[in-house]
Amino acid sequence: MKAAQIAFESVAVRYPGSDRNAVDGVSFDLHGGELVVLLGPSGCGKSTLLRTVNRLVPLDEGRVVVDGRDVTQLDPVELRRGIGYVIQAVGLFAHMSVAQNIAVVPSLQGWTASQIAQRVDELLALVGLEPAAYRNRRPSKLSGGEAQRVGVARAIAARPRALLMDEPFGAVDVLARTALQRELVRIVSELETTTLFVTHDVDEAFRLADRIVVMRTGRVEQVATPLDLFDQPATPYVRDLVHAGDDVYRRYFVHARELLRTASA
Amino acid sequence: MTYLAAHPARVAALAVSHLELVGVALAVALFIAVPLGLWAARRPNVAPWLLGTLGAIYTIPSLALLAVFVEWFGLGFTPIFVALVLYAQFMLARNVVAGINDVDRAQVDAARGLGMSPPQVLLRVEFPQALPVLIGGVRIAAIAMISIATLGGYVGGVGLGVLIFNGLTLHQPQMIVAGSLAACALAIAVDATLRLAEAKTRPSTSSG
Amino acid sequence: MSISRARALTLIASAPAFARCAFDRSHVRIGSKNFTESFLIAEIYAQALENAGMPVERLFNLGSTQIAMAAMRRGDIDCYPEYTGTALIDVLHLPPIADSQTAYDVVARLFAQRYDIVWLRPSPMNDSQALATTPEIAAAAHLSTLSDIAAAAPHLRLATIQEFLARPDGLPGLQTRYGGFRFREIRTYDIALKYRALLENKADVASAFTTDGAIESDRLVILRDDRHLWSAYNVAPLARKAALQARPAIARVLNAVSPAITDQAARSMNAAVENSQADPADVAATFLKMLKGRPSQS
Repeated sequence: MKAAQIAFESVAVRYPGSDRNAVDGVSFDLHGGELVVLLGPSGCGKSTLLRTVNRLVPLDEGRVVVDGRDVTQLDPVELRRGIGYVIQAVGLFAHMSVAQNIAVVPSLQGWTASQIAQRVDELLALVGLEPAAYRNRRPSKLSGGEAQRVGVARAIAARPRALLMDEPFGAVDVLARTALQRELVRIVSELETTTLFVTHDVDEAFRLADRIVVMRTGRVEQVATPLDLFDQPATPYVRDLVHAGDDVYRRYFVHARELLRTASA
Repeated sequence: MTYLAAHPARVAALAVSHLELVGVALAVALFIAVPLGLWAARRPNVAPWLLGTLGAIYTIPSLALLAVFVEWFGLGFTPIFVALVLYAQFMLARNVVAGINDVDRAQVDAARGLGMSPPQVLLRVEFPQALPVLIGGVRIAAIAMISIATLGGYVGGVGLGVLIFNGLTLHQPQMIVAGSLAACALAIAVDATLRLAEAKTRPSTSSG
Repeated sequence: MSISRARALTLIASAPAFARCAFDRSHVRIGSKNFTESFLIAEIYAQALENAGMPVERLFNLGSTQIAMAAMRRGDIDCYPEYTGTALIDVLHLPPIADSQTAYDVVARLFAQRYDIVWLRPSPMNDSQALATTPEIAAAAHLSTLSDIAAAAPHLRLATIQEFLARPDGLPGLQTRYGGFRFREIRTYDIALKYRALLENKADVASAFTTDGAIESDRLVILRDDRHLWSAYNVAPLARKAALQARPAIARVLNAVSPAITDQAARSMNAAVENSQADPADVAATFLKMLKGRPSQS
């Protein structure tokens, strides 16, 4: 299945009772198979923007277009079943086993039991969890990292063409986080899923993104590849953001990654 | 204990009719309270008002309410049945609301985001996790109802209350003891059974 | 389980409730008021009907005459035992009638006229108010009538219940009819302890009902109401006309039983329940069994 194309056209969102837009005049496109990171501090509107794609947040102005179709013209339930959704708190269903959690969307779509069982084992292996050991485990018995792996598996179980991730690794410890980031890159490139990833962590953004969308108070500051962001920041704000902290290491990392990318392209 | 020993069949028969009264009233009460609670749980402005009203009804002395119902419905099974259904609403609806609202909001968000319709979120995610709390409410309601149902002996000739009120009128303490003991035994048995059910519906904590 | 299945199950579960309500109409519903004698007589009626093959539902312990009558008129009960004096004074608000037959005729006629309620055959038993004393005190003070009591009152201590002091036909009526006397001392007791005061020599005279069990078990003496203050209080089965029309056998069965309840029978049965803690159902059963053994009386 071809990866989805997502476009934001002058999107604006205002929460009731607020005096300013949470998201204001945002326009950019995601190409099929890209991993785009929404980067910014808390309150910049990145999560709100993410959730307009699967209609968990209603739009006040503009359009969100998925594969050429305005999302408001689509049935929200069907739309969401075709788009993976991973959140920081994971939200695994506590009364279901790991396998049952992963099976949620496939069973909503009417897959057979054997199709589901096969897919569950496939996904557990894909996210690096031994199927026999984890299939019947309860969410309460999982570590933070394990839980989020299951969360990712659950999100991609029905082979969605797009994936929305809202600071998915924020609650995971630092060591596990690095492993998960690496795995995520591998998984989404294997599955060719268009991914929109929200974070406030600059290094995470640089590690994962094909392109980064820097946001501040509801508006887009810049949309660019990590390298371009680093070398040619569009505004002082972006410059201070990407050069903050350990930017020597970051410089090497960005260039190294760019080299790898061009080498494997 | 002597009345109990001398008339075991009579006490047993009254215990059965007592249980029948409470059982049927509980079933009908659930039929009303569960949808009511589910509806209110989603609405933060409605829930306190609803539970407040039901709570106020609960504080009406049962004998007074029963007297009004006897006026409306006559003697027998009906007035005590209606009173029981009404009293149970508070405990049941309150636990439905609490159980649903206690469900982790992240799970509800994830469920919606993955593509469950609102009824599916309710039935597949919220209700199963609210069930232990609901059964807890059923347990509390059942025990309260077993007690309140003794008033059925006053106006309806139903249940173990017959022994208690007859015993009072006839100045036969043994009858009162028999009726009270049997009602206690019923309450303990029902409590134990429902605790078991409650425990069974909690998500299992054993590792896979 | 799905919502629709849960709904179906609760409907099925609640069916017994509604079935019961409908089913109960087929029983003969017997009521009683909230004191031992009413219980006993109602139980006798109930068992007599059951022995004749009719299904009976017992709604005993109804709080008062008003409640029982309201229940009759609403059709919540079909039959209950009532006293001619009570009907006269508390329901019809007429003055008391001491003669049993006259009292019965009046209430029977007016109840049929006003309420469509039929008075079946009355019992000889007359549960009227009375004053009682021990045989020893009666002998020593030469007390055999209420006039004697009135004369000796300044030397007598009365043990009674609150109701007797409040009822117009209690102490006030007694004092009016018998010439305005005053007792030396009046003390109220719980109804269960009243006679004990008499027996323990804390009182000389006690207010009573003529069929109290204690009168037989404590061998007390009833003083004669020579100026006919107190009304007749014969008990009879009251039945709704509609119920009798639907089941004529009710009249036949109860009319056979009612005439057998005498003062003495009532006293022994009351004593059995109150003093010996016998179950009213057992006492009633014994009474009916004994009745069966006797040659029938018209």
